[in-house]
Amino acid sequence: MKPIIVTHGLTKRFHDFTAVDHINLEVMKGEIFGFLGPNGAGKSTAIRMLTTLSEPSEGTAIVAGYDIRTHPDEIRKRIGLVAEKIILYPRLSAVENLTFFGRLYGLNGRRLRSRIDELLGMVNLTAFKDMPVGSYSSGMRQRVNVIRGLLHDPPILFLDEPTTLLDPQSIRFVRDLIKELNQDGKTIIMTTHIMEEADELSHRIGIIDHGKIIALGTPAQLKAQLGCETLYQVFLKLTGEALRDSASNRVPMRRVMGWG
Amino acid sequence: MLVVTFMLMPIILMSLFGFMFPQIGSSNPWAGKISSPYKNVPMAIVVEDRGSLAVQVADQFQQTASSTGLFEVQNFASFASARECIVEGKIKGVIVIPEGFTEAFNSHRQATVLITVDDTNPQMASIIYGEAASIFRAISDRLGASVIANMGIPADPSFVSEPVSVERRNLVGSTANTFQFLAPGFMALVVVMGTLAGLSTAIAMEKEQGTMDGIMVAPISRDAIVVGKTIAQTVRGMIQGFLILAISMLFFGVKVYGSPLLMVLVMLLGVASFAGIGIIATSMAPEQETAMMIMMLLMMPMMFLSGIVFPIEQLPDWLQSVGKMLPLYYAADALRKVIVLSATFSQILWDVVVLVSYSAITLAIAIPVFRKAMTR
Repeated sequence: MKPIIVTHGLTKRFHDFTAVDHINLEVMKGEIFGFLGPNGAGKSTAIRMLTTLSEPSEGTAIVAGYDIRTHPDEIRKRIGLVAEKIILYPRLSAVENLTFFGRLYGLNGRRLRSRIDELLGMVNLTAFKDMPVGSYSSGMRQRVNVIRGLLHDPPILFLDEPTTLLDPQSIRFVRDLIKELNQDGKTIIMTTHIMEEADELSHRIGIIDHGKIIALGTPAQLKAQLGCETLYQVFLKLTGEALRDSASNRVPMRRVMGWG
Repeated sequence: MLVVTFMLMPIILMSLFGFMFPQIGSSNPWAGKISSPYKNVPMAIVVEDRGSLAVQVADQFQQTASSTGLFEVQNFASFASARECIVEGKIKGVIVIPEGFTEAFNSHRQATVLITVDDTNPQMASIIYGEAASIFRAISDRLGASVIANMGIPADPSFVSEPVSVERRNLVGSTANTFQFLAPGFMALVVVMGTLAGLSTAIAMEKEQGTMDGIMVAPISRDAIVVGKTIAQTVRGMIQGFLILAISMLFFGVKVYGSPLLMVLVMLLGVASFAGIGIIATSMAPEQETAMMIMMLLMMPMMFLSGIVFPIEQLPDWLQSVGKMLPLYYAADALRKVIVLSATFSQILWDVVVLVSYSAITLAIAIPVFRKAMTR
């Protein structure tokens, strides 16, 4: 297995607060990589850097063969982002949203239309495709959110907390979808708080805390190393049981709003 | 629904402004035959003089006032009591025919009538004073004509009373329509306000919603994003500007005397000069409310300093300099010259140069600022 993502001392600082601290990790082509960590550990920040939404303070990363600092556009062509926030305009329909974002990737005309129909069919939303996305249930919105990231059929998919806040049927659907996409050959980097999900889906896990990688390996390896039966126990053993509340005023307002 | 609200703002704004400012001698059919917009203004008249002429003059005033519907005249015993009523807001002015009036006139010396108006509203005051004074002028002419006729002077009575008369010749059109002057300024203002407000929503809301990430993660250049947002706001601003124009033309008798093409060019330049400022300000705002507040902070002083609501010549020198540094001043100036005075391109060249420079410089700054702000 070859690495499709490699980070070299990737670091992000906000004033005097280091959110991501010189991390070195690899994601193998074709695997599902579970990225875990307590609140405020630096997961979202790391993902933002890997998806070229945020510039690193130090270090760099190679994604799909391109450096995030020098060739962000090449990377953007090859990655899909399914963020925690729904990247959809509530007033527009599913078709209108997908058409807009599809065009940003250089897709258009009949090709785009048939791609959209295909994706909507895949997530069973064909019947609702012309209704405004704002009127959808959260499960429906998340499904459109996922296929939005797949319009240009990227080899790498980043999923930030894909099943949080979903109803059980939607959770099952999304998890099955992730497996299916992976079987088609896509590399998937997934962050989640739900340990059973990480356990069920991931080939390998990376655990981050205080900006540093504190564990890396397959779920089986980590459970064996730490003598735990479940991933949940592994996680708590490594990150402690103390609550991770943070209303830190070190963190600038922008980061609170979720981007930065 | 959103389209309706989008259109509603300029419509309401213009209607308010339009009805707020009196249209002196307007060609607007709804403005009425009289030049003053104020009807039946309560006035006091105090006849201190006992002479017959004083009474006669007072009667003539009252007759003219009621036949034109301009004033509602009441007799008061003294200036002091009338003055108190002004303070109480019951009447708007008092006319005094002082003692010695008849005697002076009969001795062929100038007799004076004193008019006092409620100065707490200077605009209304000057109009009321003007109307009352012109009624007395007419009375004065009639009296003078009869005296001169009796003197047997072989000359036109109007020559003797006013050897040199002064007439106002309009620069534009057949009547002086105040709104004609104000409308272009308001057009410029609404277009600019629309652009700034729209930009704050456009960028800040997308950031909050999360859709900005969707745009940023796509393989399009950051410049394209800024240009795209600018064009979108420009189009909105122009639509609102044309709405204003339509309302002004339909309801307030505004006419475009100049080249429509030049007018559109000036509007475009006005919008472009603000787009850059808007992008810079809202890129730096962490959320939508702050962005809106920044816009308000910018718009308020601009409204007052750029000669739209009142001429900046009324302001102290240093404030005038500040006003002249704002692009809105030049946009309003150019628009006014084109619409009202049918100026040519070379006549508004300086305004155009300033607007183009503003656009170029602010957009050049906005692009890197936007990029930096988005990739924090």
